Amino acid sequence: MAADPQQANASPAVVHTRSLAARRRSQLSRFARITGIAGVVLWFVGLLVPVVLTPAWVTIGGVFAVYAIVALSQDVVLGRAGMYDMGHAVFFGVGAYVTAILTMSFGWPALATIPVAIIVATLLGAILSAPIVKLRGDYLLVVTIGFNEIFILAMKNNLLGLTGGPDGIFGVPGPELFGHMFASQGDLFYLNWVVLAIVLWLIHNLERSSLGRTFRYLKYDELAATTMGINARLYKIGAFAMAAGIAGLAGALFAMQLSAVSPGSFTFTISVVFFAIVLVGGQVSVPGVLLGTVLMFVVPQIFSNLAQYRFLVFGIVMIVVMIIRPQGIWPAPRGGA
Amino acid sequence: MSDRAAMAAGAPAPLLELQHVGIRFGGLRAVDDLGFAVADGQIVGLIGPNGAGKTTVFNLITGVYRPGEGRILWHGRDIAGQAPYRIARAGIRRTFQTIRLFAHMTVLENVIAGMHPQMRQRWWQGLLRTRFQRREERDVAQHAMEVLERLALTEVADHIVTSLPYGAQRRVEIARTLIARPELVIFDEPAAGLNEQESADLTRTIRTIRDDGITVLLVEHDMSVVMNVSDRVVVINFGKKIAEGTPAEVRDDPVVVEAYLGREDEEAAA
Amino acid sequence: MDFVIQQFINGLTIGGIYALIALGYTMVYGVLKLINFAHGDLCILGAYIGLTTLSAGIFSGLPNLIVLGLAFVFAIVGIGVAGVVLDRLAYKPLRHAHRLSPVVSALGASMLIENGIMLVWGAKLRTFPPNVLPNVQWLVGGASLSLVQAVIILGTLALMIALYLFVHHTRIGTAIRASAIDQDAARLMGINVDRVIAFVFIIGPCLGAIGGLFVGLYYRQAYFNLGWSYGLFAFIAAIIGGIGNIPGAMLGGVLLGLFDAFAAGYISSSWENAITFALLIAILMVRPSGILGERVAEKV
Repeated sequence: MAADPQQANASPAVVHTRSLAARRRSQLSRFARITGIAGVVLWFVGLLVPVVLTPAWVTIGGVFAVYAIVALSQDVVLGRAGMYDMGHAVFFGVGAYVTAILTMSFGWPALATIPVAIIVATLLGAILSAPIVKLRGDYLLVVTIGFNEIFILAMKNNLLGLTGGPDGIFGVPGPELFGHMFASQGDLFYLNWVVLAIVLWLIHNLERSSLGRTFRYLKYDELAATTMGINARLYKIGAFAMAAGIAGLAGALFAMQLSAVSPGSFTFTISVVFFAIVLVGGQVSVPGVLLGTVLMFVVPQIFSNLAQYRFLVFGIVMIVVMIIRPQGIWPAPRGGA
Repeated sequence: MSDRAAMAAGAPAPLLELQHVGIRFGGLRAVDDLGFAVADGQIVGLIGPNGAGKTTVFNLITGVYRPGEGRILWHGRDIAGQAPYRIARAGIRRTFQTIRLFAHMTVLENVIAGMHPQMRQRWWQGLLRTRFQRREERDVAQHAMEVLERLALTEVADHIVTSLPYGAQRRVEIARTLIARPELVIFDEPAAGLNEQESADLTRTIRTIRDDGITVLLVEHDMSVVMNVSDRVVVINFGKKIAEGTPAEVRDDPVVVEAYLGREDEEAAA
Repeated sequence: MDFVIQQFINGLTIGGIYALIALGYTMVYGVLKLINFAHGDLCILGAYIGLTTLSAGIFSGLPNLIVLGLAFVFAIVGIGVAGVVLDRLAYKPLRHAHRLSPVVSALGASMLIENGIMLVWGAKLRTFPPNVLPNVQWLVGGASLSLVQAVIILGTLALMIALYLFVHHTRIGTAIRASAIDQDAARLMGINVDRVIAFVFIIGPCLGAIGGLFVGLYYRQAYFNLGWSYGLFAFIAAIIGGIGNIPGAMLGGVLLGLFDAFAAGYISSSWENAITFALLIAILMVRPSGILGERVAEKV
């Protein structure tokens, strides 16, 4: 066989098709660029929050940034790697407790606890996920619920005498940087806002890297992925550990923001809220996840006088959004589910 | 038979050799004391009636199933029971009877998946988007486009893979195996669901793959494809080998005719 | 020895309740592969309907036993209807959506029902009237067996036998089992799978309502978020028995009840839930398909 006839057939078309593909790609990337620019503009506008809004809104903005980071990390493990982690509040909580314990019981400066919070959460994510990543979806979901329950019990039972029992730990200080103490809600807002930008940048890069693609290969067809030479177990543990690490970072910020931690902030219900944020907003979609966080976290703050209806409304919103838009409010442009 | 295959037939150590391989599912012996060899540079067809255990053999070779007994030698080294990802990295790639592509991802992303073991970027280089990582991403995409061009898929490189017609999806699966430059590719019924023109194109593609120095092992129901393209044919039935030889030898083997071709004739007559 | 017998009786009682609730999970999961997170809350809603009936002034003239009967009837009918409505509104539109969409819908329904209960009946603990069942105790080998426990154990047993006969000796029962094994094949064989699903969403919640009311009668109290813990434990029971498998849910419920009773007896009760989850994780590691579930190999 001298020449590949298919190749010969294809070559006249190639010139035309190249330009077609290029045009398509540019359309896709134009959309991505517009949302990207809009995102950057929104971030800068957000910097004005402490200047123009009331202190209550500054606090809401700061906590929003923290929740958004957790939701983005939930999307790494759930949306991007396709593992049904319904106990993500554990890693968020571990980060918060690490910061609270190191500052209050061991007198560490708050800033120095951040890397430790990330590392401890990452390791815990790896250790907890290692034996369970082979479980199929629903079983993984139930086991992670179990992790969440065990974690809450451990905190309530005052594990090692460090976690403060059901009341938790009070008085966590803000971080100190270049002699400046981040004490006011405005300071903490800026800190969280900058960290959110860093996390968004990392997620943006993840999307364009071999690592991010590998997570998605495993999500869509694990067996096919392994026959391409992908060590599924390693990468699934990696996805869990990475998501846990980012949630741990958010936890450290959360402890400083509230200057207190208690088991109630990391219950299974909170895990359900993060799980729902990703699916209601849109899997694998950064704008979707951020929008989900606004809907499930910021909107309820506006109606805080109706707090007792909060979870009732959550329930209705979750059902209604799923029925109207099963892919989420702002799904990934190419479909993430 | 091509010159390459003729040369390879005289080579001392086969690329892949199965020795007394067997597996049992519950009480059923799906594969039983099976042995055959695939020489470097050949196209070997594995045929047999429905339920003869052909796909099971592929699953054993690629590590999806762990054989109960026997040895699977790759370059003379036993790889039986190794994890699928290790076997893939050793240079064996496969397609699936029911197409298994990564849904919701583009053709290009699907094909790049095949390059996984060759990727050099570390996880943190991806997250930090280092200069090296960006260069590698560019190079990999370019290499993937070359492979796509060969399979007439350039036009659809940025399409979501599941939006393609069936025949094109089959070609994407083949492209995904070839991009890794494997030593052996295993095709599980690549002609299933293809029309006559597509089958003929496939036959040519398989030959060019072999001519590029990649050994091919294929299971195929379409006898015209198998008999046209194979250098050697192995016939199995009830998990056992019942015949082996050139397409012409196998076609005339009375055992094969009875077990397999005879039945095909009946079907054709009916 | 007395202690062992006592824990056995207690475990059997609570295990019966788990089994009744677990059946609703396993039947829905079998047919739809959906964890109906709202099921536990439906069951506790049944307990509240029973509570309202038992403490309602309009029935105060009637004999206790009749009022109790009415409580069961209202709970069963109310929750049966609620189950069908839940399916129609929250799950049916999502039959062909991505797997996680109905899961989120189910979690939403769970929050909705739980907080609905809180708004209607209040966030405080509600106690059941004291003299619903006569306070009779028997001594069994040194341990005590109360009338409530006997009613729960025997009632559960009778319902199990009835359900077993139903799924094995009626056409619709056979259709339910067939749909659980392979929905597409069942459809091809002419089984009306939609009818099966509707049936499952009646039977499961009805049994669950009985289980929920048993919880109320046994502990003589109800709390709005009890559905979460009972639902979760019953679901664990269903997994232990082999999710999708009806006898498995019965077996899993009883075994989990016994395990809980002995774990609470011998080990610190503040870690009780953690121990149950540890058991679940251990079982999923060793035998993911549960005790009676079949191992399913993926077709390649």
